[in-house]
Amino acid sequence: MRKILSVIKREYIQIVRTKGFIIGTILGPVLMASFIVIPVVVSMVSVEKQEQIAVIDSTNEVFVELDKKLDSKLKDGNRRYILEEYRLLDDVDSLREELNRKVLKKELSAYIFIPRDISEGGEAEYVSEHVSDFDKRGNINQALSSVIIGKRLRIEGLDPQEIGKYMRPVKLITKKVTKRGVEKDTGGTFIISYFLVLILYMTLIFYGQIILRGVIEEKSSRVVEIVLSSLKPYQLMAGKILGIAAVGFTQYAIWALFGIVAVKYSGSIITKFFPAAQGFQIPSIPPYIFIYFVLFFILGYFLYATLYATVGSMVNSEKEAQQLVMPVTMFLIVPILLMMFVIRSPNSSLSVVLSIIPFFAPILMLLRVCILLPPFIQVGGSVLILILTTILMIWLTAKIYRVGILMYGKRPGFKEVVKWMKYK
Amino acid sequence: MNALEIENISKSFGDFYAVKNLSFSISKGSIYGLLGPNGAGKTTTIRMVMNIIIPDEGLIKVLGRKMDEKMKERVGYLPEDRGLYPKMKVGEILLFLAELKGIRGVDARKRIDFWLEKLDLADWKLKKVEELSKGMQQKIQFITTVIHQPDLIILDEPFIGLDPVNTKLLKDIMLEIREQGTTIIFSTHRMEQVEMICDDICLINKGKMVLEGNLSHIKNQYGKNTVVLDYDGDAGFINALPEVNKIDDYGKFMEIKMKEQTDTQGFLMKLTEKVRINKFEVKEPTLNAIFIEKVGEKDA
Repeated sequence: MRKILSVIKREYIQIVRTKGFIIGTILGPVLMASFIVIPVVVSMVSVEKQEQIAVIDSTNEVFVELDKKLDSKLKDGNRRYILEEYRLLDDVDSLREELNRKVLKKELSAYIFIPRDISEGGEAEYVSEHVSDFDKRGNINQALSSVIIGKRLRIEGLDPQEIGKYMRPVKLITKKVTKRGVEKDTGGTFIISYFLVLILYMTLIFYGQIILRGVIEEKSSRVVEIVLSSLKPYQLMAGKILGIAAVGFTQYAIWALFGIVAVKYSGSIITKFFPAAQGFQIPSIPPYIFIYFVLFFILGYFLYATLYATVGSMVNSEKEAQQLVMPVTMFLIVPILLMMFVIRSPNSSLSVVLSIIPFFAPILMLLRVCILLPPFIQVGGSVLILILTTILMIWLTAKIYRVGILMYGKRPGFKEVVKWMKYK
Repeated sequence: MNALEIENISKSFGDFYAVKNLSFSISKGSIYGLLGPNGAGKTTTIRMVMNIIIPDEGLIKVLGRKMDEKMKERVGYLPEDRGLYPKMKVGEILLFLAELKGIRGVDARKRIDFWLEKLDLADWKLKKVEELSKGMQQKIQFITTVIHQPDLIILDEPFIGLDPVNTKLLKDIMLEIREQGTTIIFSTHRMEQVEMICDDICLINKGKMVLEGNLSHIKNQYGKNTVVLDYDGDAGFINALPEVNKIDDYGKFMEIKMKEQTDTQGFLMKLTEKVRINKFEVKEPTLNAIFIEKVGEKDA
């Protein structure tokens, strides 16, 4: 056990101090935070300025109302859009020609062309140098629509205000029923489940690759036999897997710390910049989900770590490993592809079966646990099967590993690997 | 008590017998040469001694006991396929490997400094392994084999890739360690090195024992039927002389195996007529010659 500890210590220190680990650990939460913070910051920083917009109103009836409707204000209280009416003279083309020039010379930020038959379905035009500002186009479109609809209604003798009351959309609130009662759900569960499952998936692949590379390095640098002069192959394998697991927990712990701080203070930070967001809450996650997350990470990690270590022991170079590692990686990718299906029908018998298959269980059962807590028999059963499979895999792969790490040269075929397993 | 006892071990990989019914023992404090051509089963035998692979049959006793993980702390092993973690610092990897041998803390640090000093590598302690030359890495690997003061050391081709200066350095340390009572198993197919340092040898070929015993006894058995000749001139005619059994010609130097009961004096006279003789020595065959004879020229 002391020897395994020495190996664990070595693996841990060697990985934790690499630039890759440090950068990855810091960048992880920064990346996550940036998904939230950057849009907020950008929307604050982006300077909205007054814009001159010309309007060619062929109907001579729309401009006044449009000017009233399009009254968004800048932060300093001034109008965002200054509209300028152009009466349609005889020659539309020369007028548009002139406005085009003004847009290009930046005297105008855009102009709007309203055809005579706008009320009867004619298409208005928005002409500008930049047409990718969805926000601005949305504003204008909405204002114009509301003016035209109002016009149409009045023609039919209807009161737009009255009609607006009738057209009010219905609100649909989602609620989730659990054993603890009925709770309001704002879609947070879905986002959090998705997020947790993706973290699990990415870390399983990430740490699997580290193990794979580590085993290959031991082989290609020929250090393995020197190490084996002091300990058994299974001790080396166990030490490596446990050492990298410790790295994983370190990374998770750092991220969790970031997370806690973020959750604790993000609310106040957001409301500070966004008084409107008062009352905004990060969806709370029941603690049992975290317990299952850690449980499935541990179980999934050991299952996949042994597989990656075995693949590493069978090859001579990372290039050779790429083909052989495909089936292992596929076991991780397939449940990700099935995620959407399981999210939509978490209790269908196919979802139940898929989430019990040990290679899929870490991802799919966790997903089901996040969405709705399945019956204990299913969760407990899948955990038990996962544990038994992992023990079986460790037993089988250790037999391959102990031979593989001392084999150089040609990559073994399936028959040879079976033969290795029979060696005493 | 013997340092190593091997009783009738066999190991096969599939249909291929790597070692078959091999037995030998090594007395304490000796330097034992484990010889054989490439693929003879030397490395497999050593790996079985180190408990890295398990024999199908037979018994191995190291220092009087069955080999287990605890016993590995009393044995040092320098494998033929060897290397170090390239990204680790020299001091770190020595500490790690010493820990695996049960040497820890201050004691380990002291020993590391002692050996780095002794092998002239003290300045490299904080450098990464990958920055070291091949020869320096070899010396670091050697330190890992001896740092825990083992009772038995197994060296598989220890001098491969070393320059003459470093070869001599390691050879002197080997002899020094032997003086302290450590038994050394020296596996190689470089016969001249074996001849210089080994007390006993065991020659294996195709997994089986071919020859075993005290090196000087073995040579004596062959008798003084070999002539070593150092000459100038065209020696082509010697091949046709009736006294000659076999010739190993190196150009300026020749090892001649004579027929039984040859008059070497008369043979010398015949030679002096045609070539200039710088040296003429009647002696036992070299180990090289014995090796080639036993293993068969095409296998050697």
